[in-house]
Amino acid sequence: MTHIFGIDLGTTNSLIAVMDGAQPHVIPEPKTGSSLLPSVVALTPDGAVHVGDRAIKLEPHLDHTSDGHVSAVGLPSGQAGVVIRSVKRYMGLGGGDLAPEDRHHYAFADLSGPVVRFNVGTRTYTPSQISAEILRSLKQRAETATGEKVERVVITVPAYFNDGQRQATKDAGRLAGLEVVRLVNEPTAASLAYGLQRNAEGKVAVYDFGGGTFDISLLNIKGGVFEVLATNGDTHLGGDDIDRAIVDWLLGDMPQELRTDRHVWNSARHAAEDAKKRLSDIDSTEVQLELVVRRIVKTLTRDEFERIAEPMVKRTVECCRRALADAHLQPTEIDEVVLVGGSTRTPLVKRRIGELFKREPLSSLDPDQVVALGAAVQAGVLMGTQTDVLLLDVVPLSLGIEAMGGVMERLIHRNTTIPTSVTEMFTTAVDNQTHVDIHVLQGERELAKDCRSLARFKLGPLEPQVAGLPRIEVTFLIDANGILNVTARDQRTGREHSVDVKPSYGLTDDEIERMLEESIDLGETDIEQRLLINSRNEASQLMTALAKQLKDYGELIDSEERQRIEQAAAQLDSVRLGEDRELIARLVEQLNELTTPFAERIMNYAISHALEKKSIEELS
Amino acid sequence: MLQCPSCARQQEPRLICSQCGVPLTADLDLFAALGLPRLLQIDIAELEGAYHDLGRRIHPDRFASASPELRDASLRATALVTRAYRTLRDPVSRGLYWLELHGHKLAENNKQVPPDLAELVFEVQEQLSELRSAREERGSGAHEGMIELSAKRASLQGLMDELYAELVENFAEFDKGGGPDPDQHFAELKIVLSKIAYLKTLLRDVDRELDGEKPE
Repeated sequence: MTHIFGIDLGTTNSLIAVMDGAQPHVIPEPKTGSSLLPSVVALTPDGAVHVGDRAIKLEPHLDHTSDGHVSAVGLPSGQAGVVIRSVKRYMGLGGGDLAPEDRHHYAFADLSGPVVRFNVGTRTYTPSQISAEILRSLKQRAETATGEKVERVVITVPAYFNDGQRQATKDAGRLAGLEVVRLVNEPTAASLAYGLQRNAEGKVAVYDFGGGTFDISLLNIKGGVFEVLATNGDTHLGGDDIDRAIVDWLLGDMPQELRTDRHVWNSARHAAEDAKKRLSDIDSTEVQLELVVRRIVKTLTRDEFERIAEPMVKRTVECCRRALADAHLQPTEIDEVVLVGGSTRTPLVKRRIGELFKREPLSSLDPDQVVALGAAVQAGVLMGTQTDVLLLDVVPLSLGIEAMGGVMERLIHRNTTIPTSVTEMFTTAVDNQTHVDIHVLQGERELAKDCRSLARFKLGPLEPQVAGLPRIEVTFLIDANGILNVTARDQRTGREHSVDVKPSYGLTDDEIERMLEESIDLGETDIEQRLLINSRNEASQLMTALAKQLKDYGELIDSEERQRIEQAAAQLDSVRLGEDRELIARLVEQLNELTTPFAERIMNYAISHALEKKSIEELS
Repeated sequence: MLQCPSCARQQEPRLICSQCGVPLTADLDLFAALGLPRLLQIDIAELEGAYHDLGRRIHPDRFASASPELRDASLRATALVTRAYRTLRDPVSRGLYWLELHGHKLAENNKQVPPDLAELVFEVQEQLSELRSAREERGSGAHEGMIELSAKRASLQGLMDELYAELVENFAEFDKGGGPDPDQHFAELKIVLSKIAYLKTLLRDVDRELDGEKPE
């Protein structure tokens, strides 16, 4: 049987892993040896797509226009490209769900719809489509490395993802041409990897603090059965938020215009992230931001950093307390605490967790890899090669229906082991009523309007009868992926009713079909061809951009540098329409590298202009 | 009788085919689903063992590559077994299920304070509201109120423990056959369950106040 692969589709980085005999291992990128694929996707106006380091390299070449669009430098106006980071924060969300801090980083199409869509020139992309590009890239990496076709996968999701976010992740898999055999919760996956490595038994807390999400899961491990007792978390709380808080500190006294400038903000975010990482090992560091006319240098001590990060860490501790209460456990009853996710490298986090559980947390497996390794273990279980392990996970949020008076009536409580089902009887309220409307909700609040709407559906058509006589049995079943399925049966006739569940958020099947067709148009069936087109596009964009830059900013380059660049450009021009993708890609890379200092000078020049303008405005 | 769709064996309704071992779809009560006798006194370790054993054999993870029919049977059987485990593990939900299984219902209007608890409930609510107003005034009464409330919490917990002991006794009576008047036992079961439910709400309100949270 072919392998099932395990994928950690992370906010910051994504990985793919597979069982190698009895042990899981992460598959590195064959060329660079790197196991992490940055979850960064660059989209250019002509529909070309770049993922990972290549997307990051494109970032300085995409410029920011005043209307919030990001366009590739030098492209005819009206065309735009964009580099998208942390797309996971947008998965499964409707416009109304967008957190304020996630709203202004990208240009969005109509935000009133059930799915947010990124605007890129004349095209729009859903978060599932963007994530599908990351998945495709991982798929290709694994196929190159193993020589095996990657068709079936396990994908991990934050435990606290709701139904819509899970659906969106499954959709992404489908759009990438993958069968998503199972969604597994990230902390649970981590516990599998740990459990296998250490032969762990007892009560384990998995504290998973990643780039964009936080989860805590409490498990009871016994004889190979991994039973989740309770889970809690926040799908919008991660290292990103700590970086943002540092950026606010760093740019606090800058003019508003610069604080909201995407380039400045991006550079500041990089500087903040680097400083945060350094402060894991040293007590004080300089944070530098190089802008041509101004150089911002501020000293960040670990104390100051901890003051900035404390509110976020506090929120994670509160989630831990809630999970403990749900599991009816005292912190001291936990036998082992496992740390997962890059943000757990921060000493403050380790300290606070140690204080809460009164024990030293474990981090013997690489916190960046442990989730992917666990996904591979679960893939082994599903292939039937890991028969000693069984995972019993829970649903993170309560599920219910809207009852009379707009009240949420809970049918399945949070932290119920899945798969699980509940059957409810429905009837009519007035004579000859032919339909019953049912509104399915998810959440912990008392009023329906405060919970998340999952779906609406109509029961019927029913035979006209006296009110209260029809008896329709509706079964709500949450499958092993944590996703809701609904079936209905007329108790009197035994007839199955078709239930056409209309999701309140997310994509319909038709929409996914259409996206699939579109992606096939782009050459999805033939990856090589698609990559070749991508490389050609990349080459021609780079050439156009460069020509315009050389014309507009000629004073920022000396003749020797110009000569070297023009030579490389000519070399690329001679092959860019050919069939040798590797060659084109290599020359693009070479030219990119050669022009990066020039591009940076242009950027700084533009910023210094903005600053000068600002100071004149301030003076007058 | 139930016929296994895989090997066609005829058998009593059950969740695993006695011949070929595949999961079956059967409408069983929660005791039967776990293969346990219909008794209210349950050894939790035994319950967990039965659940894990069944889980290993019928869980959807074991049938990821099977036919859609088998996958569906596995999903339904596992959902039933999980519900059985969750319901029977907790004595209160086990008691409530026992009532349902025997066609009894806890009174619709169980919001009404059980008479035995009325005085206590009144007292605690008085204490809670005094504490709240002391907090609003930021007076010195708040600290004392907290100490009194903590003491009250301990006595409420003591009462809860007594009620659980009463519940266990009631379970034992049922397991012995329910005595000469089973209806009397059902009535007693209802009373103790509604007392526990009420006390739980009260404890939750007290805990919220002690934690300084506002009630929803």
